[in-house]
Amino acid sequence: MVIPSLVSVVDDDESVRESLPDLLKEFGFAVQAFSSAKEFLASDCIGQTRCLVLDIAMPGMSGPDLQRELTLRRQEIPIVFITAQGDETVRPRVLEQGAVECLFKPFSETALLDALNTALRVS
Amino acid sequence: MEDSQERIGVQNGLLRVVDALPGLVWTALPDGYVDFLNQRWCEYTGLGVEEAYGQGWQTAIHPEDLPELLERWQSILASGEPREMEARLRRFDGEYRWFLFRTCPLADASGRVVKWCGMNTAIDDRRRAEALLAGEKRLLEMIATGKSLSTTLTELCLLVEELCPGCVSCSILLLDLETKKLWLGASPSVPKAYTESIDGFAIGPDASSCGAAAYHGKQIITSDIATDPRWAESRDLALANGLRACWSTPIFSQQNRVLGTFAMFSGKPGNPTTNDQEVIAQITHLASIAIERSRVEENLRRSKAYLSEAQKLSLTGSFGWNVSADEHFWSDETFRIFEYDVSTKVTLQLILERAHPQDIPLIRQAIALAADGRDFDYECRFIMPGGAVKHLHLVAHGTRDQDGRLECIGAVQDVTERRLSEETLGKVRSELAHVARITSLGALTASIAHEVNQPLSGIITNASTCLRMLAADPPNVSGALKTARRTIRDGNRAAEVITRLRALFARTGATTETVDLNEATREVIALSWSEFQRSRVILRSELANDLPPVTGDRVQLQQVILNLLLNASDAMSGVDDRPRQLVIRTERDKCDHVRLTVQDAGIGVEPQGVDKLFEAFYTTKSSGMGIGLSVSRSIIESHHGRLWAAPNDGPGATFSFSIPRGPEGVTGANSFGAIRKPAVTDAVRVMRNP
Repeated sequence: MVIPSLVSVVDDDESVRESLPDLLKEFGFAVQAFSSAKEFLASDCIGQTRCLVLDIAMPGMSGPDLQRELTLRRQEIPIVFITAQGDETVRPRVLEQGAVECLFKPFSETALLDALNTALRVS
Repeated sequence: MEDSQERIGVQNGLLRVVDALPGLVWTALPDGYVDFLNQRWCEYTGLGVEEAYGQGWQTAIHPEDLPELLERWQSILASGEPREMEARLRRFDGEYRWFLFRTCPLADASGRVVKWCGMNTAIDDRRRAEALLAGEKRLLEMIATGKSLSTTLTELCLLVEELCPGCVSCSILLLDLETKKLWLGASPSVPKAYTESIDGFAIGPDASSCGAAAYHGKQIITSDIATDPRWAESRDLALANGLRACWSTPIFSQQNRVLGTFAMFSGKPGNPTTNDQEVIAQITHLASIAIERSRVEENLRRSKAYLSEAQKLSLTGSFGWNVSADEHFWSDETFRIFEYDVSTKVTLQLILERAHPQDIPLIRQAIALAADGRDFDYECRFIMPGGAVKHLHLVAHGTRDQDGRLECIGAVQDVTERRLSEETLGKVRSELAHVARITSLGALTASIAHEVNQPLSGIITNASTCLRMLAADPPNVSGALKTARRTIRDGNRAAEVITRLRALFARTGATTETVDLNEATREVIALSWSEFQRSRVILRSELANDLPPVTGDRVQLQQVILNLLLNASDAMSGVDDRPRQLVIRTERDKCDHVRLTVQDAGIGVEPQGVDKLFEAFYTTKSSGMGIGLSVSRSIIESHHGRLWAAPNDGPGATFSFSIPRGPEGVTGANSFGAIRKPAVTDAVRVMRNP
């Protein structure tokens, strides 16, 4: 049996933490959801996470903050950013920092799946 | 013999009479040899008869007068006619006085002169009075023609020395009120060694004669410097320079303040004579005039210099216009500001020649106000010969001169720098406001987007999951139900966001009060006055006196008025070929309505496009959002009124609204719907950032 790749979702919005894991599981991934960057950093999932679906704007440590922190820790996890803010300028910034993709909410399942496949190819 | 005895008796009697005469009488032989002098003559001069006989009398004549007197005497002798001559005669005590010498020839039967009779009459007082008068006249002329104070005072001293034989020299010292020291004003004949020592000495109760006179404010007579204790300090120097007596008198101002002292010095101990005192009184009076005049002139010159410097520094000139006489006065700085030579003859034309063509109506208005005796406060532009534009702030006040003639007194300040920097500042401020608006709008959009995108994202994800679960084999129905419920929940959440937003932007209800539309209009005009000045708009208000009050929301109505005024002003911003005239009018309208009209001379409106003006987001302005008029119309409609626009016959357009007078009031807040809050925001924007 193929062990499904672990996708970790970090988002402060509860409805995302509810709905996105179900969809990801439908895609065939293993999923862990975290409500904050800190919670993720404190978990033991970092090493197994093949892809991180990360919200940009969160109270406390933001998505890009977590991205920098992981880089510092030499944890090269492919990141797919998701954001509800329509600010287009944020996308090139996070991509430059090494993110695989940046999706604007609401996004289609195709866009999400494409981003995840890219991420898993990278990892 | 008896006859001869009688003759001798008569002659002796006559001689006694002649001796007793109160005049100085003498006789001389035809060649001028004096053979008789009466007793009074001898007593007066102190010469014995033997000493004076023949030519001896000449020793009693003032040496300066003798040559002329002798020459004259010879010519009288030659003429054989009765004549007069003048000379100073020395009294027994050495004082010379002026005398008139009257001479008369005695002839025998053949007409030959056998004897000369003469009588000397004292004319000293007359001569002195004449000299004093001539001196006074000369001095007053010097004062009036603005000769320097030291020249005038020197002349005064010389006059005294001429008039008072007992005075060897005199000095005028000036008092410095702050330091309480006396400084040399004039002392033409006092030895320098002495004057140098007294220059700048402090006054005091016992500080020689002058220091004490200035200190006490009264005359101090030192009849003998050698013994007067006041002279302890300068005694030796004074005596060494031949000064023995000093009579010092304070010189008073009109307000009775001591200005200085006048001192007469005598070479012998003694007191001033009555004559001396008269001269002193006259001279101190003249000196007072001269000193005061000089101080007044000095103060005037100084304050003029200060004023001129202050005007230069503050770029402010002053001007006066005597309207009745059409006489103008401009300060130097006014000439400088208008860039005219100070010698130019001032006329109103000078101002108009420099006026900026667009501001000529404004300037004519100012002139008309001034001619009417009213005050004005305008800012106008002027074009200088070099082409530079100056912004000048003109303020004037109507008044009447001593003769009750109308006068306009004012100031003109060059505010070009300030205006230019204000304009720059205004531009920056409006850019800043624009940026702030964009930014806040952006932030608002982002926040709305975030709030809506979250549930939308949930809806789509859940729906996708739901579809996948249903499409699976076998379908995961319970999972699909769960996700479908979430979809509904997120849909509701999105609807809630919208409701929250509406609540956030809903405005508070309109207030209803009695509004005096005239007063409300005046407030708006006062608020926007500087904006109109800046935009060179000439605002005329024609507010009806008998306007009934209306019932409504005062602030909303003012927003409409302001919006109409600023639109009118904006419509004229490109107008340079005619006055930017704006008329605001209130009047009663038919059917118990009140009407307000704003008429501009701007770019105007197309008749067919008039209705479009009131549509939201329709604008002809590059900087406008096109909300103002639509909001204005909704406000007026909520007041049960009507707002409309019409092109003028000439250039420009007229916007009017008509609302019923009380007491119905405004309909509820709901009639504005959701656009009300942004509408108000826009009106505020118009107010702040026209």
